[in-house]
Amino acid sequence: MSKSAGPLDDAGIEIDGVGKTFRWRNKGVAEEVVALGKVDFTVRSNEFLAVIGPSGCGKTTLLRTVAGLIKPDRGEIRVGGRPVTGPGEDRAVVFQHFGLFPWKTVVDNVKFPLRMRGVPDKEAAATARANLKKVGLEGFERSYPHQLSGGMQQRVGLARALATDARILLMDEPFGAIDAQTREFMQEQLMKLWDENKKTVVFVTHDLDEAVSLADRILVLSRRPSRVRAVVDVDLPRPRWDYDVRSEPAFAEARRTIWEMLRSDLVEEEEGAGIHAI
Amino acid sequence: MRSERFSPRAALGRAAPHLAFAVVFFGAWELYGRSDDAQLPAVSAVATAMADMTADGSLPSALGSSMQLLVIGFLSAAVAGFVGGVLLGRYRPLDRTLMPFLSALYAVPTVALVPLVLVWLGFGLSGRVTVVFLSCYFPIMMNVYAGVRDTPPELIEVSRSFLVRSEFGLLRTVVIPAAVPFIMSGLRLGIGLGVVGMAVAEVYLRLGGIGALIAAYGATFRLDYLFAAIIPLPLLGLLLTKLFTLIERRADAWRAG
Ligand SMILES: Nc1ncnc2c1ncn2[C@@H]1O[C@H](COP(=O)(O)OP(=O)(O)OP(=O)(O)O)[C@@H](O)[C@H]1O
Ligand SMILES: [Mg+2]
Repeated sequence: MSKSAGPLDDAGIEIDGVGKTFRWRNKGVAEEVVALGKVDFTVRSNEFLAVIGPSGCGKTTLLRTVAGLIKPDRGEIRVGGRPVTGPGEDRAVVFQHFGLFPWKTVVDNVKFPLRMRGVPDKEAAATARANLKKVGLEGFERSYPHQLSGGMQQRVGLARALATDARILLMDEPFGAIDAQTREFMQEQLMKLWDENKKTVVFVTHDLDEAVSLADRILVLSRRPSRVRAVVDVDLPRPRWDYDVRSEPAFAEARRTIWEMLRSDLVEEEEGAGIHAI
Repeated sequence: MRSERFSPRAALGRAAPHLAFAVVFFGAWELYGRSDDAQLPAVSAVATAMADMTADGSLPSALGSSMQLLVIGFLSAAVAGFVGGVLLGRYRPLDRTLMPFLSALYAVPTVALVPLVLVWLGFGLSGRVTVVFLSCYFPIMMNVYAGVRDTPPELIEVSRSFLVRSEFGLLRTVVIPAAVPFIMSGLRLGIGLGVVGMAVAEVYLRLGGIGALIAAYGATFRLDYLFAAIIPLPLLGLLLTKLFTLIERRADAWRAG
């Protein structure tokens, strides 16, 4: 695929006044949660964007709307200028819950999106193996998901998304289940992959250090009903793997800014809870 | 992955309690059967009757025609139960409309339906097949239905995110594979009940097969021959259920074990 910068080839994402309210009935009583208040934001083509915000603020919901898995009930999402109406070849998702098919072997799980795109079996298998190698899972091709640890399953989910070679990677806490050492290795791998082969990455995380050390910009969401709380630029030179990012003043500064925003949200939440209790 | 080598010693060890029980049970039966006021034929007499019926060909040919009935009835119920279970499990309006009636029908014992089937379909093969069909349809359909309803919604979302768009595509990539354990246990239950249905249909109709032998010898009080005709039924049920358990285990290789 050529990567000339034309409007159709543009891998930017416009999130235009997007809101989502979940409604359901519980024992006949109508209930609802406003998962996304009104989110306005533009993800630049080829940028590495981290998304951070309090638990339950709608990060997964936002990613699902961008992926085209659910329709927002307010606003619109455009990818490369075109409105999103459903999932597309240009986007691949790494799921927070891994989303592996338990009846398929590891290699067949990674082959799945390729087979659905009509890639011949042999070629799909070769691509799948290459991507499993990238996430350090060589030798586990024939295992079933239940035979792997949580962190290994998560890496299979990552390999599956990478194998599609989609222009946009939507990653929902992709390293959340991975142990500290493997996590550093995976972060470095991801940085290198992104450096070699430019993609737009939307990377949801709970981990402030991870957000700052990986991203170009950090989108901070408020608690529900979520809006854009702030956008923080991270001015750290790349490549970031060959020096100690964490000891840079810019790292500490970005980290502190975001930490204070998240903390004030927590304090407000407690005060809010206090008012409810009266 | 675990690999289990077949070892005769281990197999014998596992079978020992069953064997011991069989020896005691049949031993006691034989002793009682030989006493003067016995209400049961001795095991040896049943064995002789069985050998006799095998020699004259009546038992094998009865078994053959019973099996034919069972296979036709079971296979049609498997196909219809699969289709019905998938449709009801995936299509809400159909589920809401039909499920109450089907549940009510499920609660009716098949035996109670036999006279009705006969009135409608007569004494031919179609009547008997229908009885077998009715006895295995519901457990198969209900299990497929439960399996389809049980599909994790997040896996459907995974499939959709990787460009599976049609309902048929979702069935093929997620819903049916996820329901395989349920489908297999439905088939296992179905084949067991199918054997019962087969016997009911044949005894009731006194037409061919094992059931006809049972009816005939029962009517003439030839208990040794009656037992010889009855014994293949539980054996057949056991064998087929065991077979399906094995297939089920293979199909479930991916499950945590
Ligand atoms: N399908 C759904 N039906 C009803 N409510 C939902 C549904 N999905 C999400 N929600 C609610 O919407 C809100 C946002 O959920 P979401 O999963 O997007 O949060 P999140 O930011 O990803 O949380 P976490 O950090 O814990 O992963 C939550 O209150 C959640 O309970
Ligand atoms: Mg989430």
